[in-house]
Amino acid sequence: MPANQEAREVVGDYKAGWHDPENSTIRFDFGLSEEVVREISALKGEPEWMTDIRVKAYQHFVERPMPTWGNTPTLESIDFDKICYFLRSSQATEKDWDDVPEDIRNTFDRLGIPEAEQKWLSGVTAQYESEAVYHSIREDLEKQGVIFLDMDSGLREHPEIIRKWFCSVVPLTDNKFAALNTAVWSGGSFIYVPKGVHVEMPVQAYFRINAKNMGQFERTLIIADEGSSIHYVEGCTAPTYSTDSLHSAVVELIALPGAHIRYSTVQNWSANVYNLVTKRGIAHEDSKIEWVDGNIGSKLTMKYPSVILKGEGSHAEVISVAYSGEGQHQDAGAKIYHLASNTTSKILSKSISKNGGRGTYRGLVKVSPKAENCKLNVVCDALILDEDSRSDTYPTMEVANPTAHCEHEASVSKVSDNQLFYLMSRGHSEEEALAMIVNGFFEPFTRELPMEYAVELNQLMALEMEGSIG
Amino acid sequence: MDSVAEYLSLDEPDRSSHLWRYTPWRGIHPTGDVSRVPKLESPVLGLIGFDGGAVPDGISIEEGVHSDIILPGTDALTGTFLRAVTGNSQWTLRVEPEFSSEHPVILDIDAGDSASVLHLALKVGRLSDLELVTRIRGSGEWFGMLRTGDIGEGSSINDVVVSLMDDGTLLRVDSISIGRDAQVRAGTVSSGSECTKADLRYRMDEPGGSLRVLGSILAAESMHLDHHVEIHHEAPETFSRLAWHSACDGDSRTVGTGMLRVADGSTGADASQVFHNLLLSADAEADSIPELEVLEHEVVGCGHGTANGPIDEDQVFYLESRGFDPSEARRALIAAFLNTTLSEMGSDSLHDWLVGLLNSELRTPDA
Repeated sequence: MPANQEAREVVGDYKAGWHDPENSTIRFDFGLSEEVVREISALKGEPEWMTDIRVKAYQHFVERPMPTWGNTPTLESIDFDKICYFLRSSQATEKDWDDVPEDIRNTFDRLGIPEAEQKWLSGVTAQYESEAVYHSIREDLEKQGVIFLDMDSGLREHPEIIRKWFCSVVPLTDNKFAALNTAVWSGGSFIYVPKGVHVEMPVQAYFRINAKNMGQFERTLIIADEGSSIHYVEGCTAPTYSTDSLHSAVVELIALPGAHIRYSTVQNWSANVYNLVTKRGIAHEDSKIEWVDGNIGSKLTMKYPSVILKGEGSHAEVISVAYSGEGQHQDAGAKIYHLASNTTSKILSKSISKNGGRGTYRGLVKVSPKAENCKLNVVCDALILDEDSRSDTYPTMEVANPTAHCEHEASVSKVSDNQLFYLMSRGHSEEEALAMIVNGFFEPFTRELPMEYAVELNQLMALEMEGSIG
Repeated sequence: MDSVAEYLSLDEPDRSSHLWRYTPWRGIHPTGDVSRVPKLESPVLGLIGFDGGAVPDGISIEEGVHSDIILPGTDALTGTFLRAVTGNSQWTLRVEPEFSSEHPVILDIDAGDSASVLHLALKVGRLSDLELVTRIRGSGEWFGMLRTGDIGEGSSINDVVVSLMDDGTLLRVDSISIGRDAQVRAGTVSSGSECTKADLRYRMDEPGGSLRVLGSILAAESMHLDHHVEIHHEAPETFSRLAWHSACDGDSRTVGTGMLRVADGSTGADASQVFHNLLLSADAEADSIPELEVLEHEVVGCGHGTANGPIDEDQVFYLESRGFDPSEARRALIAAFLNTTLSEMGSDSLHDWLVGLLNSELRTPDA
């Protein structure tokens, strides 16, 4: 079977599925060992303490068994020996778009990154394979002391801040894939927003895997100091290959007293990517952390954005949507830990399963004995569009304080025939009507995104809905 | 392989297994040494009428289990262990086809004062109409009960299990299959035993089955009451509701986990589950996991919900303004909370009996 046809059969119609010829300057052999971990660290010229963390994390990764829950057959099919753990495509992270190597520049041009930067962003990081290739931030923000760097540069330029916060939210022993990321991390974003500074327009990171059998392990650390605010947006795509790639990121957010962090993701990996991500934030007094999380692509996603409400009066919100098409399993959800009094949280999860896809909500809400007067609300809605698809909901609520008010509700349903009939009686085809209903179902999510992302998401969903009828 | 060998061949489950997350098998096993299959006593069984007299013809209890249904997906460990330790303590409760009784029937189980175990097979004939109360009493350290069986087509059964053990540990495993067009209300009233682990599974593999699973759980002091309920829809036009109310006082802990599974082909299934927890003290804890797996898209609806909260102080104030003293007001509100599910378990006479039972439990100093 020709390679292109084979790839099409694996990933279907995926508009970001092209790939460029690989022009790497450094490419590691497949497979993982302590030497590989040390070599990555040496190549980056890291301080010894970081190398030690990496090696400890590698040892934990080796010792830790694979999870025994979730989609274990698909997880077991990951071959860690057939993954490339480091690939450098560009010698440096450029600040001028024209200095980025031409082939990489073309890729991001096609994805619309420079255009977005000019129009509506405060800063941009573009990561290609293992490292950032382009990075910029608006001058006025830089003058106010905002640090927005790729993680490698962050470690070089601000080691004292990184050392203080790295692994403070997601310890290296947290889970097998967090250990893997800590061992081989490369790229990602490092952001520090000083006290009282509000970054009005979002900053964006765009992650692109280009090579075959590639592993991307970016590490992101965002610290919003007292009374500051920031909105971070990330997007991701990969080419369509018939072999699998692995994306295993770790994101740590720290919202200091009174700060506000919003982290938005539109994940659109091709359907040959395992997306196994650990995202967690700590919210101090009166701060707020929001995860706005869209999962459209990937073969298997396991992602449960979490917030530890450590400070009194802090608030967490997770709004997530997931679309599971043919061969896809979106195992997503949220975790909130109420450790302090008068904390509040809200989870809204929406999923759609189609063409044999499987959507899973897996969540945990925990109220500790000392957390008085907490309020939390969890809502999960799922739509199943055909007879081959499946939806699961696994929520857990552990409440150890009698003053807590906790609510959870979930429903699984199909598209209402009445709604379809109504729209068709107004002149829409059945396909159009279905796409409108699906967009309406996702609306609580899209309205929280910057407009450009919301439009993109609606277009993506319309593409996914093509051919749904008949 | 016999049950003993089969049990010994199984690994001890760890806490990553959903079923064993809150109550490890080591804490439930009669001796704590999970590699042992101890010899246990048989409880004393009696089948009596609601007024204490004889039961009507058509319902009987006999020694031995002739057909043992194991539902697919049933936890291997507890079922195999209970089969391994029941020995001669096996009984069949037989209800003849088209049996009908005006009054509830009580199956009285006296677990005695030592560790005992029972395998009870339910054989409910077609088109029968019955209210059955299984009352468990005793002061032993451990009691295990495995209930297997099937409810015949077109039957209407209210099946209520009341645990009134003084103390000790209760391990209960139900594995019940519901026939075509049968209507079942399965109630659990639990206010005794120091530690309870219940794994209740129901399967509707024929069309038209209807099931309501109801729980009224009252936990006090350091009680640990863990109930897992699974409902499997495996046929078209099946209906289920799960409503579970737990009130926790002292430093007690209740765990309510539910699984609604709608299999591919169960068109027109209508399923929902709701867990409500009332926390009465600072040290009490209530955990809920209402799970849903839906593999069929042509369903009426599938949903679940859970809510936790304290006693509403406005309601206490309202009752106090009507002359209740604070403890009476509190007791009335707990009773009303638990009565929501209790009132659905059966007829008025059964309900009155259960309410009397609940009130006497609430009047005890522990509750």
